[in-house]
Amino acid sequence: MIITIARKEFSEIVRDGRFRWMAALMMLLLLTAMLSGWQRFSHYAAIQAAAQGSTNQQWLEQGDKNPHSAAHYGNYAFKPLRPLAFFDNGITSYAGTAVFMEAHKQNFAIARPASDSSAIARFGELNGAMILQLLLPLLIIFLGFTAFAGERESGTLRQLMSMGVSRGSLLWGKAAGIAAAVLVVVLPCLAVAAVALAATGLETAGGGIGTRIALVAAAYLAYAAAFLFLSLAVSAWAGSSRVALMVLVGFWAFTAFLMPKTAAEVSRLAVPSPAFGSFMADMKAHQQRGIDGVSPRVRLAEYRDELFRQYGVARIADLPVYWTAMSMQKLEELDHPVFEQHYNSVREQYAAQLRLQDRLGLLAPLLPLRSISMALSGTDLIEHNKFMADTEVFRRNMVVKMNSYLSKAAANLNAVNDATNYMIANEEVFAIVPPFRYEPPALGMVIASQAGNFARLAGWLVAAIVLALVAVRRMSLERN
Amino acid sequence: MYRLIVSHETRLLARTGALWAILLLLVFAIGFAALAGGRSVTRQAKGAADAAAFEDGVRARMQADTEAYAARLAASGGTYEFATVDHVPGRGPPQGTNAGVVGAETAAYVVLPPTGLAALSIGQSDIQLRYLPASMGTTLDMVKNLEIENPVNLRTGPFDIAFVVIFLLPIFILALTYDLLSSEKERGTLAMILAHPVSLRELLASKIVARASVMLAVVMGLGLLALLGVGTQLDQVETWLRFGLWLLATLLYSLFWFLLAVLVNVHGRSSATNGIMLAGTWLILVVIVPTLVSLLATTLYPAPSRMDLIVAAREAQTAGEKGMGDALDRFYAEHLDQLPAGDQRAMDFLTLSQANAASIEKALLPLYQQFREQALHQEALVQRFQYLSPAIMMQLALNEASGTSTARYQDFLDQAYRFRGEWNDYFASRFLARSPLRPEDYDRFPRFEYVPEPAAAVMARLAGPLAGLLLLCIGMALLPLRQLRRYQVAAR
Repeated sequence: MIITIARKEFSEIVRDGRFRWMAALMMLLLLTAMLSGWQRFSHYAAIQAAAQGSTNQQWLEQGDKNPHSAAHYGNYAFKPLRPLAFFDNGITSYAGTAVFMEAHKQNFAIARPASDSSAIARFGELNGAMILQLLLPLLIIFLGFTAFAGERESGTLRQLMSMGVSRGSLLWGKAAGIAAAVLVVVLPCLAVAAVALAATGLETAGGGIGTRIALVAAAYLAYAAAFLFLSLAVSAWAGSSRVALMVLVGFWAFTAFLMPKTAAEVSRLAVPSPAFGSFMADMKAHQQRGIDGVSPRVRLAEYRDELFRQYGVARIADLPVYWTAMSMQKLEELDHPVFEQHYNSVREQYAAQLRLQDRLGLLAPLLPLRSISMALSGTDLIEHNKFMADTEVFRRNMVVKMNSYLSKAAANLNAVNDATNYMIANEEVFAIVPPFRYEPPALGMVIASQAGNFARLAGWLVAAIVLALVAVRRMSLERN
Repeated sequence: MYRLIVSHETRLLARTGALWAILLLLVFAIGFAALAGGRSVTRQAKGAADAAAFEDGVRARMQADTEAYAARLAASGGTYEFATVDHVPGRGPPQGTNAGVVGAETAAYVVLPPTGLAALSIGQSDIQLRYLPASMGTTLDMVKNLEIENPVNLRTGPFDIAFVVIFLLPIFILALTYDLLSSEKERGTLAMILAHPVSLRELLASKIVARASVMLAVVMGLGLLALLGVGTQLDQVETWLRFGLWLLATLLYSLFWFLLAVLVNVHGRSSATNGIMLAGTWLILVVIVPTLVSLLATTLYPAPSRMDLIVAAREAQTAGEKGMGDALDRFYAEHLDQLPAGDQRAMDFLTLSQANAASIEKALLPLYQQFREQALHQEALVQRFQYLSPAIMMQLALNEASGTSTARYQDFLDQAYRFRGEWNDYFASRFLARSPLRPEDYDRFPRFEYVPEPAAAVMARLAGPLAGLLLLCIGMALLPLRQLRRYQVAAR
């Protein structure tokens, strides 16, 4: 019985001229989005790899100089992308793609593609995720709002019931018919994307790409199914198809356009984060007065006395380690807790903002889906934070390697009171700093971070099915 | 007669729950957007003030050091000397006498002041840093930093009044008008009304007038309230001018959506079909066309990669450092006036970095040119394609009226670059001549004064989108006339 209903629903939809228009538009957009996303990803990946290779080489070939000057010259880390970024570009355009790793300073990521594009880019970026998040639900609504209301208006609903069709099987049949029509539109495009991914992206994918794809697919499926059952529920409940459409389109606009921005703004009002100027001014002032209120200058004097005691000497000239290098490393280490406190505080503010937005996902199914999609595509804040953390590990290692090499190799300079006579190192010394390597966060951790969002999405699906069942059970068969 | 129908329609409208629900939503949305816009502008202003205060503080301490030094010399005798670069305090003249140290290690903040309407349309102002540190060194150092913000929220975009007007207002308008004639027809009341001495055209016009006057009165009133709410001073002519243009754009944009609803209604289809067609049109004009135009702009004229720029800058830096003698010779060859007396070319750190910065700057100039050119191409493409969607025209118009447009920022950047040059020259010439900075010099450092763009320039940039919206509205008003004559009053 269910199959018969599904087949009838499916062929009715497919024969409708409006459906053909919508399907053609949807396919065109989805294919454009997937292919342009793929092109953008490949372009980015090529530039990123070349740039990272060049800067690694530039570090080695920076020319003979003092190791501490080499640490000032520093190195850049360029953020690599994972292949699924072609599908969901996430925060890539907004988070910064390069980090300068230099002595004395921890830096924010710079080089944000969004700041080099026109303001029109703020309407949104065309990518596969955007089409499936915004347009797919609308397609489902357009196909589903007449499911019961339309039959009721044309009087066929009563006839159908008189043939002994159960209300439940009517619901499942209609759901299956609409789902089949939607899949006919979406699956070919996804297949094209899968071929593109398999052809060129898998070698850079790393482990777990299969799991990622499966989870992303499950999330989108749940999202689409939730909209399908909501459409059917409203169609069964509403007095006319006009009202059903109005309610459903209203809900769609609410979840797709109103809620994301509202959630973002609420989170910013609830958990304010500082502007660049305020952040830097606070941090620099904190550096100057010292993490615990004792100025770095005093700490340095204590450190010098400590070294004197340790080596049993009374003046810098007699130290077996190069004091300039030791003091610079000490200053570096005094800054670490200050950097940690300030950068961690901003990171925590952003995380709190997102936690709040995740909770608001109870009101709009797009919010949990968006987070899951970005997280598994590796284009969310978790991935970005890990990248930033890795750059800081690299920076500290680079600086300590250079300073400690200098402190041992230039101990004889302690007695030399001439600024031009300083130790010069070459490529061999610079090579003791291994090139920057980014280790993406473990997949298990990424999945665990999205547990709440998966639960919310599942909740939406279950609620939609229950609503549909209840609405169909109580559905009146005639217009009133 | 006409007035009678309008007042009848208005009373009828006031009885429906839909109008009140929509107005309530609109009031709430505009209030929330004003709150959010105000927050964004305040946050930026605080960032600019904090950054400038920090740097001013550093310079004030340096000035105090030079004052103490001068006083010490006045008491003990001796000449006021130039300090070499040395970060160990307590020996010799203070660092504040060295123009190279003051000019390179402190920065003067160059600030783009928000207009009175900045809170209404955030534009790109949440990404672009609107306060830049001018200092010696390279231009790249000045513009590399960005405003920091949760990138997920940046991607989502601000909930500002421009968002309410561009995205939500059309939805509200369409919700009130999608069944303008079709609902009367479906209820069978249309034929009854038209049995009275009233033409279909008059009826339609009065229905639109009733709805439009309520909506627009609310939008304009709330817009003004929002402006006052975010603390804008209304005593400036410029603010009123910008607000006037803002209202004009909003008026034309709303009119477009009302006329679109009329156009769809006169074809006599069912309310549900009208609803689908209008929702689809909204989606295409407000979401799909702008993202496609954006995709076209970035595909045809992609900005050069910042990653490439960084690599090139380091290439230039390394080349400069390796040929230190060369860079220095080149620098002095171009700045003979700055060669210290007796050619005592002290190879100290700052002199070199100064010479190096000049050669990096020269090497990067073509790359900057490329960024600028691609940005201009992109902007030109958007200008051409804006006429495909009223939403794009509206975004351009609102950003322009609110002073958050790309063009205004670019003009600010030009002013900032000029000021950086001025700052650089002031300190470089004193540093290279080894002429010590005295306490009173601190009050004569170059100061940045933002020169607002002439109103004519703003108007010229607004002309395109406003004219486009106006023509679109005229076209949309004429289109339904023919169809209206063929309208089937009663359901067949």
